[in-house]
Amino acid sequence: MKAKNMFSVKTLLLLALSLVMVLVTACSNGSDDAATGTADEKNEDGTYKNNLTISYAGITDISKADLQDKFHKTFSDKFNITWDYNYVDWDSWGEKLRLWINSGDLPDFASWNYVNGDAMNYIDQGLFYKFPEDWKERWPNAAKAYESTGLGERLEEKVGGTYVLPRPVYFQNKPADPLLNQIGVIAIRKDWAEKVGFELKDAYTMSELMEFAKLVKEQDPGKVGKRLVPMSFNAGDILTGFVMANNEHGRVESAFYKGEDGKYHWGPADESTLTGLKLAQQAYKDGLLDPEFYTWKNSEGGDAFKVTGISAVAGLGGLASYRQEMDTAMKKNLNLNSSDVVHEALIIGEDGKYRNLEQVNFWSSLVFSPNVTQEKFERIMDMVDYSVTEDAQKFLNLGFEGEDWKEENGELVSTLPEGTTLEDKYPGRFEGLYVLGDDFSVINPAIKKEFRDRSVELYKEKASLSTDGGAMATYDWDFQLYTSKAKDQANFTFETEYANLILQDGDLETNWKKWVESKQSIVQPVIDELNENFAK
Amino acid sequence: MKPATISPGSSKGEESKFKRMFVDIWKYRMTYTLLIPGLIWLILFAYMPMAGLSLAFKHFRANDGIWGSEFIGLENFEYLFRDPAFAAAVWRTLYVNIIKLFITFPFPILLALLLNELRMRRYKKVLQTAFTFPHFLSWIIVSGIIINVLAYDGFVNSLLSLVGLPTVNFLGSEQNFYPMIILTDIWKSTGWGAIVFMAAISGIDQEQYEAAQIDGATRIQQMFRVTLPNIMPTVTIMFILSVGGLMSSGFDQIFNLANAATQNVSQVLDVYIYRVTFQSSSDFGFSSAVSLFRSIVNMVLLLLADRAAKWMGGDGLFR
Repeated sequence: MKAKNMFSVKTLLLLALSLVMVLVTACSNGSDDAATGTADEKNEDGTYKNNLTISYAGITDISKADLQDKFHKTFSDKFNITWDYNYVDWDSWGEKLRLWINSGDLPDFASWNYVNGDAMNYIDQGLFYKFPEDWKERWPNAAKAYESTGLGERLEEKVGGTYVLPRPVYFQNKPADPLLNQIGVIAIRKDWAEKVGFELKDAYTMSELMEFAKLVKEQDPGKVGKRLVPMSFNAGDILTGFVMANNEHGRVESAFYKGEDGKYHWGPADESTLTGLKLAQQAYKDGLLDPEFYTWKNSEGGDAFKVTGISAVAGLGGLASYRQEMDTAMKKNLNLNSSDVVHEALIIGEDGKYRNLEQVNFWSSLVFSPNVTQEKFERIMDMVDYSVTEDAQKFLNLGFEGEDWKEENGELVSTLPEGTTLEDKYPGRFEGLYVLGDDFSVINPAIKKEFRDRSVELYKEKASLSTDGGAMATYDWDFQLYTSKAKDQANFTFETEYANLILQDGDLETNWKKWVESKQSIVQPVIDELNENFAK
Repeated sequence: MKPATISPGSSKGEESKFKRMFVDIWKYRMTYTLLIPGLIWLILFAYMPMAGLSLAFKHFRANDGIWGSEFIGLENFEYLFRDPAFAAAVWRTLYVNIIKLFITFPFPILLALLLNELRMRRYKKVLQTAFTFPHFLSWIIVSGIIINVLAYDGFVNSLLSLVGLPTVNFLGSEQNFYPMIILTDIWKSTGWGAIVFMAAISGIDQEQYEAAQIDGATRIQQMFRVTLPNIMPTVTIMFILSVGGLMSSGFDQIFNLANAATQNVSQVLDVYIYRVTFQSSSDFGFSSAVSLFRSIVNMVLLLLADRAAKWMGGDGLFR
């Protein structure tokens, strides 16, 4: 009994000791204060005095890159920097950055997939660097590109300063107005279509595409055999191809929308979402989709078309660079000239209407560590400012003038050997820090002219279809910049949710209704909040 | 040293109690010194992180830290209980883990008993190594292998096709998901789990076996009448500990083997926590509320299992 009592006292002592440790640790402050440091110094000739090691987190894979090659060295020498590059894999981008930002371990600056709720949260907590008031005067090129995004200034109004640099999708080379999202363009094997007698058009309904897929399945024009996947759509492609084509509010970007009645609604609960789901389920049941499409990773759908050549229809996207990649992959893996075998087209809804999302002119952003020194911040901003200029865009996207490209009759011409890209010559070019590659891809001679022209043509067609009887989910700034706990909670991965509904046994309509019902306790509070704040 | 007279509650008694404790500690200082690394580990990795539990009642702001963040009472729990996915995840977790517990728990015991019967030491060691090896493979690797083997064009379905049988949708079937989870768990953890029971078996007094042999007991009788009763206290403790983990096991296994088709049966509590923490706008207060809820349920289950074990006449964890 005595020993038992004594043990208890000891246990209590240990507990007390550990609690003290907990308190001491939890109450102690880390070094929160940003080391502002001194201004960046330059030599008389304008070159930078000090070599700075700058850490950057980006999603460009540099595993094949040689940071000492001519391209990378020219850039780093120009700004007298040594890169500490942190590659972030696409699949873990959001999670990794979230952890780094929250734990104060953000590199000097990073490419961050902008999420408004998180941005407001991080800015509120001082987890992003606040730009000096006069930054737009000091870096005017960057400021001009920043203004083109639309988000930057709206965010400034809300939070009272600049904390985030949204990255412009288009800056100098906007292909159409209104600009619609590049998604929703498919690739069709036109040689197979000709063989099975399927008409080539600029836009198809999903039912038409399913008819084509059925013909391909029956006749196997490519002699693929058992491996044939008539439509190599992954869960994301199904969301875009089947659901968005019939309901522009079926996606996460536009799920909450203001209807004609001036009130907010939730798109996945619309009957038109069910139309898309029914078609997708039919395609699955008819064996037109891969039996395990739901296990496919991001690139697998496209690979079945361009790498293994076992598919007749695949999601492609509207960027010329995607088309160029497809061309290179088909040549390399299938020894096919893609221009002979690929037809690009849009998908329209079963009612004949074209639907897509308004492309707000930004995608992802640059954010800075709150602990970045003034010297480093200024150097990085110099790089950003330079990177958006016309000269820099040519250097970053084409390489060296006279060596990799030349100008002929006012046209840019690539001088790289046939079949070689600048990426082959200088892999892992991440220095195009600010304006996204989409902008230059419109004029980039490294991409075949026919692909660039077709890409612009499709953008224009989308714009015309969406304004001429079509439906475009407009970017709702009220909703996008609104933050609340309820809104954060109503964040669903629709591609997974829809795939699950398609695969469930039983009646799809009943399952869908049950699913909509099950989400209401999360969705309705958001609708109520939105109606309270923004409804007419 | 003259023992002090202790009268309960008196300050003099308390004082001498503490004094005696320190004398005892000093006397056995070498033994207590051995405790230090374990204590440090316990403080660093078990007690200090507990401070984070207070986040369940706070609106966490990284800059304000754990203590400086605004106290919001039970708001996080209100949002938590509003989410039907949470309640579903709780029940699913209990369901999956109870099935797993009752099916997988006997396997390590059985394996330990069988290995104990092997007389060829070298063969026994080879087998033990072979059974233990899967434990050291991460679920990411194991899942990758399983997905490839069970895919439509994988090894198993190819084999089925070869012998003229219809192929089976292993990966996309809700019905097949739990059997897959249980079988892979048995394959991966039986060998490792058997180590504890092997250790318990090795501590059995050999005279008991000699006596049983003299009495004419067969090998099977010895197994059930000598070995099994001797390891029952270990079995009980391991069972209680397993019950204490009913709400939290299996994230890496389930997360890696799940897909869109099995979403409705694979969204266990750990997957739910992962989703609300990393796949949507980060809210560490909310995630902590889920974790705290899980820990409390685990604790209650542990205490219930302990009480049940004692009630059935066995040993419990707490004396």
